[in-house]
Amino acid sequence: MPDALSEVFVAISAPTAIAVVVLGFVGGVLSGFIGSGGAFFMTPGMMNLGVPGVAAVASNITHKFGKALVGARRHSQMGNVDKRLAMYLLATALLGIRLAVWINSLLFAGGSGHGSGKSAGADLYISAVFIGVLTFVGISMFRDALQPSLGTRGPSRRVTDLAGRIRLKPLVRFPISDVELSLWVVLPVGLATGYLAGTIGVGGFVGVPAMIYIFGVPTAVAAGTELYLAIYMGAFGALNYAWAGLVDLRLTCLLFLGSLVGVYIGAYGVRVVSERYIRLSTAAIIMGCVASRMVAVPVYLRHLGWLRMDPGWDAPLNGVSTAMLFLSGIGGATFILYNVGRAYLAHRQIQTTLLVTRPSGAPEEERVHG
Amino acid sequence: MPIVVVSCVPFGGGERMARLLAEKLDYSFLGREDVVARANECGIPVGKLEVAMVRKPSVQERMATLKDRYLSVATATICEKAARGSLVYYGRAGHLLLPGVSHVVRVRVIPEAEQRVEDAMTRTKLPREKAERFLHEIDADVRSWVRFVHNVDMDDPRKYDFMVNLEKVSIENAATALCGIAELPDFRPTPASLRIMDDRLLQSQARIRLALDERTATASLTVHSSDRVVTITYMPRQARVAPEIPKILEDLPGCRAVRCTMANTNILWVQEEFRPDSDALLHVTEQARRWGAAVELLRYRPERALANAVLGEEAARPASRPRADTGGIEDDVVEVTSPADQGFHAVLETLSRDGRLGGGQTVTGTKEALAAAISRQVPYSLVVVGETFVKKPAAARTRLTRELSNFLGEEMGLPVIGVSDLRAKLRFGPTQVVHLAAAATVVGLIYYLLFTHQEQLLSVLGGSLHQRHPWMSPVLVAVVAPLVAAAYGVVASSLLKLIKLE
Repeated sequence: MPDALSEVFVAISAPTAIAVVVLGFVGGVLSGFIGSGGAFFMTPGMMNLGVPGVAAVASNITHKFGKALVGARRHSQMGNVDKRLAMYLLATALLGIRLAVWINSLLFAGGSGHGSGKSAGADLYISAVFIGVLTFVGISMFRDALQPSLGTRGPSRRVTDLAGRIRLKPLVRFPISDVELSLWVVLPVGLATGYLAGTIGVGGFVGVPAMIYIFGVPTAVAAGTELYLAIYMGAFGALNYAWAGLVDLRLTCLLFLGSLVGVYIGAYGVRVVSERYIRLSTAAIIMGCVASRMVAVPVYLRHLGWLRMDPGWDAPLNGVSTAMLFLSGIGGATFILYNVGRAYLAHRQIQTTLLVTRPSGAPEEERVHG
Repeated sequence: MPIVVVSCVPFGGGERMARLLAEKLDYSFLGREDVVARANECGIPVGKLEVAMVRKPSVQERMATLKDRYLSVATATICEKAARGSLVYYGRAGHLLLPGVSHVVRVRVIPEAEQRVEDAMTRTKLPREKAERFLHEIDADVRSWVRFVHNVDMDDPRKYDFMVNLEKVSIENAATALCGIAELPDFRPTPASLRIMDDRLLQSQARIRLALDERTATASLTVHSSDRVVTITYMPRQARVAPEIPKILEDLPGCRAVRCTMANTNILWVQEEFRPDSDALLHVTEQARRWGAAVELLRYRPERALANAVLGEEAARPASRPRADTGGIEDDVVEVTSPADQGFHAVLETLSRDGRLGGGQTVTGTKEALAAAISRQVPYSLVVVGETFVKKPAAARTRLTRELSNFLGEEMGLPVIGVSDLRAKLRFGPTQVVHLAAAATVVGLIYYLLFTHQEQLLSVLGGSLHQRHPWMSPVLVAVVAPLVAAAYGVVASSLLKLIKLE
């Protein structure tokens, strides 16, 4: 591979290809299970395999574009897409993506040296945003899952009420979501979603909770609308990164191989795991990914000359980071797969109707089939 | 004797009129406050529920269980009171509480605007402007509440039998006029309508009992009653509570049998005639097995509605209408004599044996009556429409069935599919094999090209070709990514369908 190319594109050996497919599968399972992206696992996973951060983000956003195209159609058939809301969000989300691509490209272009040395600035920036956002999301999910009244209490209304008080005109009515919002509340959320989608590929982690907690949109509509939005954001991000020469289509296609199977299995998992465990396991996986990224940060700092550290530590730290990431992702996916497998076998085997016939008040016949 | 249900917004004079009507007719009176008091006794914080409900849909979906319990308390309270004699009920959406019961007179009171503001000013001690704003807000809240609890628009005139406009008529005269209406033969109880009432009561009492028992209080259960047979569906993760359910409902008055079915979700199957040996049963059961769903049968008999439409009788309904035209649900199994009845019950029995039964009922009348009979509290994932309008010629049958499917889709907000489409969806025949082979070929070809021409590919994506022609990379990405996603999506879903994991 020419030297200039190796700055962005890594050589893909058979083990690397298999690892990327596994990343896609685990990311897909988590994505189907959590309902909002699997990029938080796939992006750092690819970085751990030696892919420069910016290429990992670019390839992943391209993967998201294709996946959203398939998923949004299904949500749309179910009436879970608020296209009007998506279009308003999109207006600023595209700006957010442009901003993210510009910052990432700038940091990457400004890097000195080759390979990991050149991408260290962009990698550090992506890791910092990743750690900040996902720590917040993970802790919130943990707190939510540990609430004793989960299921009847509902999401906190504090932010919703606060946003509801903002009546700055123009107010826009969104009939499918059944909410009326100030345009000045909608636009910043679009900007933040686009910026994070462009920076770390996990716009859904902001878009979906924002729609639920700030706008008061039903969860199913929030997920469907985010996926619909992801088509445009993904397309815009992918084309922008492609124009900048940063998309590795080979990685995108390898991710597809795993993720499109995984996403079905993850979605099946939602039906067989209780809500509390869904949130707990999701939070644990996210925090595992955050810890993994934190371990990799000293390496980037050393490359930038901001930390004095023996270069011999690079390989062990990167190894630990990779191990932690795979452990949390594969651990989470195993938990989901275990539950899916158990339920799948149970559904094939058990008959489940208890028939109790009581013609005269007292039970006369009780039968448990199978 | 009938139940008169008066619905009105707060401060609108509806309660005064309802009390006066009860006095004139010598009926018992029941107000919404009585229902709320009983709900509070059952541990349902109605006040908090209202505050949390009226604005944000995201909170509403989490409160579905509480809402279900509140509706059960309201239904049980009205049914119990009505069982002891005639009744006038006043509430904001009482007209929606007993769907399908033909001896309910549903009255909407439209308030006199000026009088309403004055009443609000007197009772709240607010100045006019604030009182008007208060009424505006309270109206919006009530509308949101009704939409949340019943999923309908409270101003929809089709949901009422009579509207009383207090701008045009006094409360006294309105009550007098309604006395005559309440005595009309159209609203006399029939054996069928009384049986529906019994089932509504039984269903509500079962729901309340399960909600109050600590063994099942936290479980998410769907309760359905038909012909005094109570069917409970529960989620697989709540399997341990299943053996407790029959024990809790053991001495439920009037209950003939209890059936508990484990299900992730529900499929509603609408058809005119059911047969246990039909292919349709096999396909629906197969779909239910894949999804871990319970199947609820809804036998729909549209012939009466069609006859009325043909004769133009919808607009000029006779003063005394026959029992079957009372817009409602009939008994399921009381007279199992015809082959159609036997078929229906044989299918119910088959589903019960397979562990897939989610209940069953029969509806005669218009498609609106059909929609009214479908519970909005049951988490349906799919509506399957089988053969309906069987006495019509083939072309008319196809058109009417399609119209019915569209109507149900709009009304329920759910995917509706025909039995034949379901068959095509499930089947993995030659067409599916061709699709799979074509998609797999496309995917294989793309991957082969990508990984055998990596140098050229990378040159286009970010190398020398990209330097000269930067547009080539976005074009390649825009074509390849969606193409691979779509083609490989077909391959993945087909393979999962083959192993029955969807």
